[in-house]
Order: sequence, then structure tokens, then C-alpha cells
Amino acid sequence: MSPIIYRILTAIPLIFGVSFLSFLIMHIAPGDPTLMYMDPTVSQNDLEQVRKNLGLDQPLLIQYVLWLKQLLQGNLGYSYVTGKPVVQAILERLPATLLLSITSLIMILLITFPLGLLCGYKKDTWVDDSITIISFLGLSIPTFWLGLMFILFFSLQLDWFPTSGFLDPMLLDASWVQKALNILSHMMLPLLTIIIGGVAGLIRYNRFSMIKILAQDYIASARARGLTERRILFKHALKNALLPIITILGLDLPSLISGSFIIEYIFSWPGMGQLGVQAVFQRDYPILMATIFFSSILIILGNLLADVSYAYADPRISRPSNGDAS
Amino acid sequence: MHHMFVGFRYLVIALCLIGGLSCTQSSSSPQTNVLQLHLGGEPTMLNPILSTDSPSSSVEGLIFSGLFRINSDLELEPDLLDTYTTNDDGTVYTFRLKKDIKWHDGHPFTAHDVKFTFDTILDKRTNTVRRSNFVIDGTAIQFNVLDDHAIQARLPKPFAPFLNRMAMGILPKHLLQDADINKTPFNRSPIGTGPYKFRSWQAAQYVQLERYNDHHLGAPKIKSIIMKIIPDNNTALLAFEKGEVDESGIPAKDFQRYTTKSFLDIYRFYDLVYTYLGFNLKHPFFSDPNVRRAIAHAVDKSALVTGVLKGFGTKADIPSSPVLWSYPPNHQIPIFNYDPEKARQLLALSGFTMNPSTQVLEKNGTPFSFKIITNKGNKDREKVAQIIQRMLKDIGIEVSIQLLEWSSFIKIVNANESPKAYDAVILGWSLGLDPDGYSIWHSSQYPQGFNFIGYNNPTVDALLGDGRTTIDQSQRKKIYEQIYTTIANDVPYLFLYFPETLQGINKRVKGLSKAGPAGLMNPIESIYLVE
Repeated sequence: MSPIIYRILTAIPLIFGVSFLSFLIMHIAPGDPTLMYMDPTVSQNDLEQVRKNLGLDQPLLIQYVLWLKQLLQGNLGYSYVTGKPVVQAILERLPATLLLSITSLIMILLITFPLGLLCGYKKDTWVDDSITIISFLGLSIPTFWLGLMFILFFSLQLDWFPTSGFLDPMLLDASWVQKALNILSHMMLPLLTIIIGGVAGLIRYNRFSMIKILAQDYIASARARGLTERRILFKHALKNALLPIITILGLDLPSLISGSFIIEYIFSWPGMGQLGVQAVFQRDYPILMATIFFSSILIILGNLLADVSYAYADPRISRPSNGDAS
Repeated sequence: MHHMFVGFRYLVIALCLIGGLSCTQSSSSPQTNVLQLHLGGEPTMLNPILSTDSPSSSVEGLIFSGLFRINSDLELEPDLLDTYTTNDDGTVYTFRLKKDIKWHDGHPFTAHDVKFTFDTILDKRTNTVRRSNFVIDGTAIQFNVLDDHAIQARLPKPFAPFLNRMAMGILPKHLLQDADINKTPFNRSPIGTGPYKFRSWQAAQYVQLERYNDHHLGAPKIKSIIMKIIPDNNTALLAFEKGEVDESGIPAKDFQRYTTKSFLDIYRFYDLVYTYLGFNLKHPFFSDPNVRRAIAHAVDKSALVTGVLKGFGTKADIPSSPVLWSYPPNHQIPIFNYDPEKARQLLALSGFTMNPSTQVLEKNGTPFSFKIITNKGNKDREKVAQIIQRMLKDIGIEVSIQLLEWSSFIKIVNANESPKAYDAVILGWSLGLDPDGYSIWHSSQYPQGFNFIGYNNPTVDALLGDGRTTIDQSQRKKIYEQIYTTIANDVPYLFLYFPETLQGINKRVKGLSKAGPAGLMNPIESIYLVE
């Protein structure tokens, strides 16, 4: 059997294990969806009836089995709070989240890769120090504050971008070019906020990987052979420094769909982060279970992808399916 | 090394380019005749019998109509209703409906829609928390269609809050009779008889409404309403300043700053809410009314109004809002003025003595220390707890504070057990238009129910029953004055304050009504914009 198929097959019980555990933990936390109604005009009898209608009076194990049965029929159920099909609730939030997270990931990579490597190459010089200080400054500024300051400055003072939202409601019937540009202008401030918060960690990572590679024997031998710095750097070091990025990308896959709650909340960005956190507070179990289910699939998939692409990028890593000995 | 910067340089150029392009997009031409309202969260569903959250009801109020609607004086006025009559003992109501009213899809509105709506609420399969509103002492109110434009309601016994409940938005039977009301797509694209038609709802972005030209109370002046969903209050305030929304709440701390701005007017009014400190009356110390009165004397409510509300509010002495008809005028209610000396005396009478080494009061060797719990995230309540903690320390009572996540908080307070596992709680009640306080004060609502402090006074129990069955408003007013007097004297809660709401409205919005809990744009038909 191909090792990839083997890994996918072994992942299936893992996913169900995760779903069962999260189901348990969720229900151990106090409260249920009816607790939103803390209102003197609401009677306990009504709350009991709603609980019964939602099946929340059933034993936990039965609730889980019912959820599982539904899932195996391809049905993720309905939100307890909105009565909306869970699939629909997720699908209408996914595009905004993917747009923002993929764009910001690409931007962050484009910024951090050269800067991180530069830091590693110029280790302990003023270049390294200043990039490190600036990136750590970005990391330590609280996101919600930075976001609000951006709105205040770029939107209110300069009038460059709208304060918040995704698409101007007035453009509902506009051409797709107009819509795309409008979405882009709404995306600028959240994007900038994410990038500033996101670069610091990756720069450190890239810096470290560069330092490690430059200390390798093959670099020393290349230098001994009298190769130019440029050739050493671009021919030998750069390619190897790419490897850790693959791991990071693989591990980052689930965060691409989960979205960032704080960013989405401040900029009224209609994404998965808001959906997930709201579902936690409202104890909207069907939505929560679906997001956890997808996230765990993506975590496993991300790891798998990282391993596979690692094997292709680095011939030293064995691929037993081909019978390579190394 | 320059190569390494190439990517970065392109990135910067790309960013600037996008920024430049977007600039031209940002200052799009202002839309005429479009009112831009603000919703503080995503509505759950646009169905008045199911939803309980305020974003949903803000939207529903424009799409649906009930038999009555509530005017800016908080009185009922006919909406779908033409006239109504009632029999002598107030158990049979006959409602005559306006004729020639059409649903937004053109289908005629009839009494069958009214019956369908209330029958659906009473149907146990419906996930609604409104059912008990139409059940009196275990018997459901019966709705019978007399003809297409007349419906009769039969009550098992007189019930004063009934008419208010007939302001519930009416649903179209022809669209919903075969649907699963809890899951139907109707709840996301509703059809009503109200002044505005539903146009679109983009999840977590906005709800868009269009004027309904055939509205039975006259077509609205404003063509279209966009309700933008902006969960963060700071962002909403900035969007308000930029003109992206026409209304926003103004935080008390920013009031001065916004009074100097020319684009808005700020309206101040009391809402139907009050904040209180509730004592667990099964607690060994708090079961003694004199101890509760002593605490009332030890807390300076005006300091709370100044410190927490920045002066935007007034101190509370009874469980009613000053804007309700039932609020007693110049009331003869026992008031416990701020008087720490009196507090010390009362505590001494109850057998407390000061332990000189700890500076904490003691009774039979037990120090007077207790814990206040409140829900995390409500900054005002956190501040109230801290100020009370400091004030009670002055008279020798040790207070600790615990902030709990809402569900954990409710789990303790609402636990179906007696005694409950807390000492005191800071919370607020939001009241209905009817003064009926049965669910909060009646002894039957403990341990399960909202009388979670365990208040039990037979006089109040009897009066609460009378208040519900007496129809005449002037008689009811006397009953509620008695209820408030008794409760105020018992101090089961230490009533703290009524906060004021500060609402900012863009000056281009005209035709506003009197400021109050029924909203400034009431009725919406009279609102117009000057550009």
C-alpha cells in the first residue's frame, strides 16, 4: 500500500477520536444554547421544552451517536441558534476568511523570507538588530489597538479606506471589477494589521535556519573552494533554507480556514473567526463540531502535505514506497 | 545583497498601487435616500416568534407588524388592528382587523394569519421561549377566527399583560403552514406586512430593506435601509464619524468630545433597565433584613452614578423604570440614605461586633465576609463591585469579587437547588412594558426561576397575583406601588441605578420622535433625510 494512502487511512480513526473528545469537552463546559435567554419574561418551562426539542435532554453518548449518524449521511445538521444548515453557515463565511488569510500568508512569506535570511546572513550586525527590533515591535503591539489606530488614521484622517466591512451594500448589482476593487479596499486595513503582527515570528525562524545552514560543512567547503559569496548564498544556502518554510506552511493550513477573531471583530470582516467564537459563547454545538471536524482534517492533511513535499524537496528523506535506501 | 530587497520593494509598490486604486473607491458618491443603521451583532433569525436577540428584533420591527405597535410614549396603538372589544371580566377579546392589508408578496392578510401565528407559538415543536406568554395558569389562550377580519381570544382568566403581548409580529400562514418553523429558509428571507420589505441579508455584513409602498399606515419616506453589522463599538463609533452609519451609541466617557462635533445630535434617555446587588436570602447573615438595610445605608449610590456612569443615570430605589406608567410619582417608598453610622448601628443591633485586630465585623466568631459574583465582560458591573467592596470595607465588611463567564455564572445562579452556592450577585434586569414582576419576585419562582435570591413574602405574592388579574390601569398602579413599597422595605436587592442611554444620530436624519426605549425613529414612516 502506498504510504500516503496508509497515512490517510490511519487518520480516519484519529479524526473521530478528536471529534468525540471535543464533543465531550464541549458538553462538560457549563451551559447550553438556551442560556442566552436570561430574561425575566422567559419561563423555565419554555426553556425545558426548547432543550427537549433540540435533544439536549438526551444522554451525552446518544447525542454524540446521533451527530455521528447524521455526519455519515453527509449531514452536518442545523445551527441551534439560527436554524441554518451548518454547511451553509460555514460556506458563507469561508470565502472572506480564505481571501484574507491566504493573501496575508503570501505577503508575510514574501516579507519574512528575504528579511529573515538577511538577518541570518548579517547576524549580529546593525542590519540584523534593527530588523529584529522593528519586527518585535510589530509583534508586541496589541492587534485590537493597532487595528483601531489604523482605522482612525487611514480611514478617518486620510480617507483612504472604509472603516470596516467587506463589500459596500450599494454595489450589490455592480460589475465584478468594481466589486473586486471595493473588497480590496475593505481588505487593506485588516491585511496590514495581520501582516504587522505576523512577520516577527517568521523572521526569527528564517534567521535561525540561515544561521544554521551557514554553519554547515558544505558551506565551509564551498568557501574553501573559492566560490563567490553570491554563488554560495543563492546556489547552496537559499534552497536549503526553504525547507523549514514548508513545515510551517503545512502546520498553518488549519489556521487558513479558522480566521482571526480579533481582526474580524474589529473590522467587521464576515469570516470564520467570528462564527466560531460566537458559536462558543452561544454553545452552538453543531457549528462548533463542524469547525472542529474540518480543522482536524486540515491539521492531518497539512502534516501529510508537509511530509510529502519535504520528501520531494529534500532527497535525503527516504521514500520507502520506492524502495530507496538511504 | 540587493537582490534580497527586490521582492520586498515590489511588495511595497504593489501595496501602494492597491492603496491608490482603493482611494478612488473609498469616497464613492453618497447615497441619497438610504438610511444606514447599525446592528451590534449578526441577527439570529428574522422571525419574531423565535428570535430573542436585539439585532433580530431591530430588523423584525421594520418588516413585521403586530395587532398593536408601541409608540414613543410607550403606549399601545393599533397597527394591523382596527378596533377591539372585551367582555366585562376581561376574559374574551374580539379583535377587528384592518381590511385590504397585503403581505409583501401581494397575498391578502387575514385573521387566519393571526391565529396561525399564535397557534404556532403554542405548538410545543416550535423552539420558542414565548409560549408561556400565552399560557395562563397552565391553560393556553384560545384563538378563534370569527371571519376573515375578526379574531377572538379566550383567556382562562383575566390577565392584564395580555394586550401588550398582542404586539407580537404576525407571520404569513400561506408561506409557513407546511414548513418546519425552526429551520425554514423564511427565517432568513422573511415576508411581512410592515413598512419595509426584506431585500437581502449578507451574513455578518448587512441586512438591506426596501420601502413597502402599500404599507397600511402609509408608505415610508426613506426608500431603502441598510443595517450594517458592526460588532465592535469602537469601530461603529468611527464608522459613525465617517458617515458610514447614521447612528451609534455614544460611550459616557466620550460624551464631552462628541458634543462639540457638528455632524451629530446626542439624545439621552432612560431605558427599561436597572442594575442591582442581589442578596442570597438563604445566606445566614443576609436572611436578617436589618443586615441588608445596613448594607443599603453603607452604599453611596450617587457615587456609583458618578463613578461608573459618569453621571449619566440616576439612583434606583425600586424595581421599575422611571419611564414606565407604573413608576409611582413622588413615591412614599422607604429610602435608605447613605449613612455609614446608621449602618454600623444596625449591624450592632443584629449582633455584630468589631474585631479590633482584623478590623472586620464578627458574629459568634464568624467574620462578616462575603463574595459578590458577576459576569465577566461587563465593565460597569465590575466597577460597581469594586466600589461597593471599598464602601463596605469602611464599615467592617470584607467583600471579595469573582468574575465569571456568562454560562458559569448562570449555572450557579440558576441551579435548581436550595440554598444556592453564592452570597451576592450584581446583575441588571431589562423590563417589559408591563409592570408584572411575577417571574422575579413570586416565591413560586424559586429555586427554579428568576427569583434566584429566594425572596418569599406572602403579601407580595398575593399582590403580584392581583396585579396580573386587575385590568384597570389606575387600580394596577396602586397595587404596584404597594408591591414596590414592600419590596423596598425588605431590601432583597439593593437597587443601585438606572443608566441613561446616549444615542448619537447624524444630523441628516430628520423626523425623529421623542427619545425613549421605543426608539428615536418611531414610527419609521415619518423619518426622512436631508442631504
